[in-house]
Amino acid sequence: MLLAAENVRYSVESDEGVLRILDGVDFELSSGQIVDVVGPSGSGKTTLLRALAQLLPGADGALRLEGRSSADIGPVQWRLRVSLLPQITSLVAGTVRSNLVLPWSLKVRSAESPPPEHVLRDALDGVGLERVDLDRDAAKLSVGQAARVALLRVTLTEPRVLLLDEPDANLDEDSAARVAQMTREFAQRGGGVVRVRHHRSDELASRRLRLEHGHLGEVGA
Amino acid sequence: MSTDPATGVVTIGWVQLVLATGLVVLVGALSWRLHLGLEKDLAVATVRTYAQLFLLGFVLRWVFGVDSAALVIGIMLLMIGMAAVTILQRAPDAPRGILGSSFVSMLVTGFSVTFIVTALIVRVEPWYAPRYVIPIAGMVLGNSMNGIALALERTYADLDARCGQILALTALGATPWEAGGESVRTGIRAGLIPTINSMATVGVVFIPGMMTGQIIAGADPIDATAYQIVVMLMVSAATAIGAVLTVLLSFRKRFTDDGVYMERGLRSSR
Repeated sequence: MLLAAENVRYSVESDEGVLRILDGVDFELSSGQIVDVVGPSGSGKTTLLRALAQLLPGADGALRLEGRSSADIGPVQWRLRVSLLPQITSLVAGTVRSNLVLPWSLKVRSAESPPPEHVLRDALDGVGLERVDLDRDAAKLSVGQAARVALLRVTLTEPRVLLLDEPDANLDEDSAARVAQMTREFAQRGGGVVRVRHHRSDELASRRLRLEHGHLGEVGA
Repeated sequence: MSTDPATGVVTIGWVQLVLATGLVVLVGALSWRLHLGLEKDLAVATVRTYAQLFLLGFVLRWVFGVDSAALVIGIMLLMIGMAAVTILQRAPDAPRGILGSSFVSMLVTGFSVTFIVTALIVRVEPWYAPRYVIPIAGMVLGNSMNGIALALERTYADLDARCGQILALTALGATPWEAGGESVRTGIRAGLIPTINSMATVGVVFIPGMMTGQIIAGADPIDATAYQIVVMLMVSAATAIGAVLTVLLSFRKRFTDDGVYMERGLRSSR
């Protein structure tokens, strides 16, 4: 099993008392698998992704990656292997190149070298961004282009699991198709993908799970 | 009009104070006529001005008479404590539990800048001379306090505004400083801009209070200018030191031990 989560719990205080967003969620993801998580707005789908990425303070439960517990791996190293791409694309000020190599400018990867120029160029070409120069100001990218650059920035770091929060929301058809292609290729290379989606099934996911009232279940089960 | 025979300075008596208060009464009448609803606030503020400044005057007269180093240090600590609390009141977005950081920052700023000025620049004798140390400490703390509060407020407001980007960077393995450092720079810059602007316009757009006071008290304008330059520079230094220290000492408290930013939605979670 690539990623396993057991009895994940998370609650918040609200005016009505304690609200259980995740109420004992169990989840498994195999290598090469793409799983979609659906559910009504506010049901906790984004919260689940953040819990799986160890980016949710106050969340309880056991997480294991390829048999190793999250406690053994440590939160920072866990996040490098189980990478969350938030819904809102957040490119930093600078060029497309500086955004793509940003992970290697961080202390945690200071011992590694960033991908060479031709790898960055090939990566852009591979997702339909042939006309986007590496020196282009990232602020001048379209929404769809920025989404692809943000996804590339994560996939270039070669995580084991990708957690994508509504990766094709607000994208035009062509951009959504490119993002889907990137996702499929990542899974084909042996990675696992969890997507939170509102759209109809795009036939990419092998499983669809529904999160409602803090519980996760198979769609249609 | 009465004049101090020793200095030739025109002194202000009760009649003059009542006349000055008449200006506030005029503003109160204007507020009443325009339905601004400020009459009560103006009255309370005026009473507080009288009470606080006369109290300060009597305390300073007593302190100057006692001439004790321990008393000067004690008063400075009290002023620093008040400044630390005021800064937090003016920065509602700052994390809770940073009173200690605020106090330590003001302690370092207040003591270092005040004594650099009194001991090395003005060279007062004795080193604690209350007539110099207390007013200068008051100016250092009072003027830097606004800039520090602004820096603190802007830093935490900017962190909240950038929480999406901070999450994305943390997901890539960024440390809190790597993810949130830009907001710290933005906040400190914001805290220093009013002081820098004030330095750029002093003497052209306005004549500062201390220089005005010294000139009215009979000092030579060039001597008053030299004092004012020292004051402007020490205030900018104090603001910079205080803003950097307060923000850096408190910044990490908005992140969990494992480096996750506690955005608004997470602060009430359990």
